[in-house]
Amino acid sequence: MNGGPKEPLQSSLRVQELIYGLRIGEVMTSKVFAVSRNCTMRDVQTIMKKNSITGLPVVDHKRVVGIVSMNDLMNALEKGGMDDGVAKWMAGEVKTLAEDMPLSFAISAFNKFPYRRFPVVNKKNELVGIITFRNINLALIRELSRQLRAMEHQQENPPEPHSLVLGKVYQIHRYDFENGGKASSEIKQFLKMRGIPAKIVRRVAVASYELEINLVAHSIGGMLAFDINEERVKISAHDRGPGIPDVEQAMAEGFSTASEWIRAQGFGAGMGLPNVKRVADEFAIKSAVGMGTMVQAVIKLQPENTHED
Amino acid sequence: MDLIRVADTIDAQLVYGPAGWERINIETAFASDLMSDVLMSDREEMLLVTSLSTEQSIRSAGIVGVEAVVIANNKTVTEGMVDLAREQGIALFCTRFPKYETCVRLGRILEA
Repeated sequence: MNGGPKEPLQSSLRVQELIYGLRIGEVMTSKVFAVSRNCTMRDVQTIMKKNSITGLPVVDHKRVVGIVSMNDLMNALEKGGMDDGVAKWMAGEVKTLAEDMPLSFAISAFNKFPYRRFPVVNKKNELVGIITFRNINLALIRELSRQLRAMEHQQENPPEPHSLVLGKVYQIHRYDFENGGKASSEIKQFLKMRGIPAKIVRRVAVASYELEINLVAHSIGGMLAFDINEERVKISAHDRGPGIPDVEQAMAEGFSTASEWIRAQGFGAGMGLPNVKRVADEFAIKSAVGMGTMVQAVIKLQPENTHED
Repeated sequence: MDLIRVADTIDAQLVYGPAGWERINIETAFASDLMSDVLMSDREEMLLVTSLSTEQSIRSAGIVGVEAVVIANNKTVTEGMVDLAREQGIALFCTRFPKYETCVRLGRILEA
């Protein structure tokens, strides 16, 4: 694209992708302090002071029912309510995040909501941790230094020209049908040149292309990442929103939210995600409204792999 | 069947052909304007008939390894489409016949 925004460096995209791919559970603080409903604001103050923390979830049988922040504590102090139960001063509407969500969802949540921390819950909706921006920064620094070490290692041992190992990330822009598919064509070419059987190349290309078109047609923008080694190709699509309200419905053949314009491009028949699942050996999808969607497809490169076509 | 024979049958005009396109083997044809359907197919040595004259048609064809694309109804083929066909080594044709008639003609020789 001439005159368009300059493409960011591959290394910075990779770090971003790695970060996005981490699970919230891997990054959060698991040692989490919480109080029950019958604690007082004074108890809250003591716990916060002792452990130098600024926010405390309120739980009822491990379920999060509220959160008390430093602000609530100051309000209680000002109005002489330090001996009141926390329920009177806490914020009762709490936005929680799930531990198996990708970290990108937490980043979206911090952008979307004014909160500085989110309680993290498990599948049973029980409190298992808390995530703040500090956790995200630490993870970022950790990934950056890991990536730096990998780059140093690569400089010392450059990969052979025909090596099958590749990590590449593409930024995909909303409604950019003009370039939609470029990344997939490039990956297809890469695998073909390295002698991967045509049937497998085709499955990788189809999964990747469907995901790429999905990013162009349905997301507000995101990234498509390839992680290729001798054994398998892992394709991940991350976007920043809008998120899928009902993933099960989105996975049903024929279900589509595509506009007329998207349909005019030959897409939007509601077969994209089911088709990715069809060609993949492993498939995972995670989505939350307002936070984004992550889809991951793995295709094994071994020809002996018995995938029913 | 050789692509050149297939092309003759539908009176197709060559827009772009990779070296040796005449001898490309075509076993089957697929007609659709819905790229989602094209991406679901798992046939090989295939010719795609479509009246969707867009760059994405050529891209989708390339993704599933289509050997040749025929644009029905004499729709205008853009330069971008030709570039993509060249990039992916796909033969690109245009025919004056509408999609249905193109398919009928193809059916006669491919089924024979």
